[in-house]
Amino acid sequence: MRESRSSLTTPGLPIPANVSLVFLENVTKIYYIGDQEIRALNGISLSIDQGEFVSIIGPSGSGKSTLMHLLGCLDKPSAGRMEICGYDITTANSDKLSDIRNREIGFVFQSFNLLPRLNVLENIEVPMIYTGASASTRRRRSEELVERVGLQDRRLNRPTQLSGGQCQRVAIARALVNDPKIVFGDEPTGNLDSTTGKLILEMFRELHETGRTVVLVTHDPKIAAVTHRVIEIKDGQIERQYDPRKTAI
Amino acid sequence: MNLGISLENGFREIWSHKFRSGLSMLGIVLGVSSLVATLALTAGIERGSRVFMAQMGGLELVSVVDQEISNQNLDFWNLSPGRTLQDAVAIRQSANLISHVSPELQEGLPVSSGTETMRVRVTGAWPDYMGVASNELAAGRFISDLDGEFSNRAVVIGDTIAKQMWPNLPPEQILGKILFIQEVPFEVIGVFIEYVRESDRRAAERKVKNPETAVPTRRSRGSWDPFRGKNQAVVIPFSTMFYEFKSGKFPEDSVDTIRLNDFNVRISDLNSFAPALDQVRRVLNQTHRGVDDFGFTTREDWFDSMERNIRGTRISGGLIALISLLVGGIGITNIMLASITERVREIGIRRAVGAKARDIFLQILIESVSIALMGGILGVLCGFGLIDILNRLAPSDNEPFVTVAAVLLSVTFAAVAGIVSGIYPAIQASRLDPIQALRYE
Repeated sequence: MRESRSSLTTPGLPIPANVSLVFLENVTKIYYIGDQEIRALNGISLSIDQGEFVSIIGPSGSGKSTLMHLLGCLDKPSAGRMEICGYDITTANSDKLSDIRNREIGFVFQSFNLLPRLNVLENIEVPMIYTGASASTRRRRSEELVERVGLQDRRLNRPTQLSGGQCQRVAIARALVNDPKIVFGDEPTGNLDSTTGKLILEMFRELHETGRTVVLVTHDPKIAAVTHRVIEIKDGQIERQYDPRKTAI
Repeated sequence: MNLGISLENGFREIWSHKFRSGLSMLGIVLGVSSLVATLALTAGIERGSRVFMAQMGGLELVSVVDQEISNQNLDFWNLSPGRTLQDAVAIRQSANLISHVSPELQEGLPVSSGTETMRVRVTGAWPDYMGVASNELAAGRFISDLDGEFSNRAVVIGDTIAKQMWPNLPPEQILGKILFIQEVPFEVIGVFIEYVRESDRRAAERKVKNPETAVPTRRSRGSWDPFRGKNQAVVIPFSTMFYEFKSGKFPEDSVDTIRLNDFNVRISDLNSFAPALDQVRRVLNQTHRGVDDFGFTTREDWFDSMERNIRGTRISGGLIALISLLVGGIGITNIMLASITERVREIGIRRAVGAKARDIFLQILIESVSIALMGGILGVLCGFGLIDILNRLAPSDNEPFVTVAAVLLSVTFAAVAGIVSGIYPAIQASRLDPIQALRYE
């Protein structure tokens, strides 16, 4: 069972339509390499509502990867307030973070990150294993998703037998398997040729249109242009935010 | 995360590195097989000794023996009649914890069938002789109370005597034959079974199965046969023994006062061993008029030393096995550490999609336990093989056999080795930082 929502909503009541799924206030992330202090994020305040289509853009070293890890609950902020899907991340323990990653968040990585020894269906099922779903439920759900990403005829193949685009479609199916609220794409088209990249991007757009919150992290302005809000990061801070449909780049 | 998937994953992982996993199993296989073999060997020895003990009368058999009189009783030594038939009668009447009382007179006498003659020890006994040392008859009956009352010239003979006197005659046909004991004719009324050691019995079985490959038996090599005495028994009624062969020697002896050569009692229940001995002691104190000229020899010392030997073998064998298991465990730890460095990225991916640290911990632990268990099962099979080879090469008095408990114990040890050796790699794996693990190339 999902736990009751914390500060943003009253427990037991339906979640309001435009509630913030992602809420950051003055978030800082500091790394230490030896004695050297590295301020990867420096006072970021940000909020993303349900159903938004957002891209985070910035040059390498800007801190966008760090932000992505924080938003994806792979890491915790050093200071500041942060809530994802109503959960207070700053106080959550490692198990709680795992739980949130498992149920509320879907990841699509640049390098696909599929498990090489499992076939397509099994790869899609991996997150469900950690939800505790039964084998039959898992198989039903993975069959459904493999069809949705159009890979029925490759369902028993290993990732090594698939093309990059096909791998990424498996990864998208895996990201959706637990019906998460947010889907993160970390340079999802980075390892693909432009045609395939366009197809994958189109899939993300469809996800958004079916009501899911989609956040893409990229360094490519052309990809960012597809989204409805661009957040530009530079030196660990938000430089500016704009809607690419209204603002000329 | 459920166990079935973890197991499936574990076996998949092992299968994809067949050679490596096989090598790391080797130590466990060795340890478990030597454990199984050791336990089987000691189980064989234990069973053999127990069978032997039972055939020799078991723990319940207690001998009443003459003993040096203590100093304060020295002056009264002639008050005591010593061990006599009266002792036996008194014990039978008043010691209810004793099931059998067997007073015995013995004499070395020539026995003859008319054609064959040999000199053996003849025993005069009560019907209780039969039960006191668990004897069995191959044919006929044992001496009865009536035989004693009428001092019948009836004799029960052991297998060796039967074969010597009437070669090639089955026991049934020996019944009714006349055996001369010092020229006095006795009717054979019973023949004891042949008492054989385990090893001889099995050697005989093998000979029947395939005569060419039979291993020569121990007896032909002339080792000590514990059943020699029993197989050479010649038993006649107590009173017959006295009147025919004892009475002339010392005119003052009567059947009630003649000193017994052997005096055994059997305790009805081992749980009341000490009280039963106390009863016998009290009764004998009466008949011996307070003179402590008797004592007991029990089989307990013998039994204890036997147990000690078995325990010693078990411990040394077990130690060897445990060392192999330890080495095997270290091998598994090593393999698992190698395996997780190979799979850092996989662990990162699993963590990213929602695996908790303990899911990873369990996954690695289950893998190592799977390796150990497979090694354990292989080890049990190897253990069986080892015992088979041992049996063929060196058939011993005590055939080793594998008990269910031994198998369970060995497999449990293997599982424990798997758990112990998996814990460190599992902790290492579960502590990996998801982000670092995802970036790992």
